[in-house]
Amino acid sequence: MDFQLFIVSFITVFVSELGDKSQLAAIALGGSSPSPKAVFFGSASALLLASLLGVLLGESTALLLPKKLVKGLAALGFGLLAVRLLWPEPEGLDL
Amino acid sequence: MSAPNPISSLQSDPIEATASTSNTSETPSAFGGTFWRVFLSTFVTIFLAELGDKTQVATLLLSAQSRSPVVVFLGAGLALISTSLLGVLLGQWLAKRISPSTLDTCAGILLLLITIGLIGDIVGQ
Repeated sequence: MDFQLFIVSFITVFVSELGDKSQLAAIALGGSSPSPKAVFFGSASALLLASLLGVLLGESTALLLPKKLVKGLAALGFGLLAVRLLWPEPEGLDL
Repeated sequence: MSAPNPISSLQSDPIEATASTSNTSETPSAFGGTFWRVFLSTFVTIFLAELGDKTQVATLLLSAQSRSPVVVFLGAGLALISTSLLGVLLGQWLAKRISPSTLDTCAGILLLLITIGLIGDIVGQ
């Protein structure tokens, strides 16, 4: 087990993730959601799966899904979350 | 690697516990329903946002260069769990200091900014 590589990977990803979209989303959702545990597990598992894909598939991950489509779907997802927070349906926040 | 105590305190009560421990507004729906709905919406959105994100590219390059993806994945995974945990804990800390309605508005605006950022990425390429 190459501990030095482990530390390098940890620091690289930790620094690049601080203040990244996904962490900002975790903060926003973590504070406003009735189930912060679900936000943590959802966010952590999504990030792990994405990095697992990155590690396993390597460069071909980009071929997997066209970048624009993926970013567009992500924008749609975040937009829906934002709308649900800014204009909750009348019967109260269900997020 | 012993998990830092915040994680164990988060997982202290089993998920199917009926009493929801979150202190924000309690939605009366069954605990299971809310948990999975929030889990899914968070998972899908963050997963899509993370695909092709710079963090994933960094992980990809590290694993290709080092040719030991398992170690890279362990390091990256721990970092991702830590930042997610920090994010949610910070969100909860804010929730204790700001009124729910203000927090929801700020969270909504923040998510809107992320959306605009993503659209900017698409248009910019």
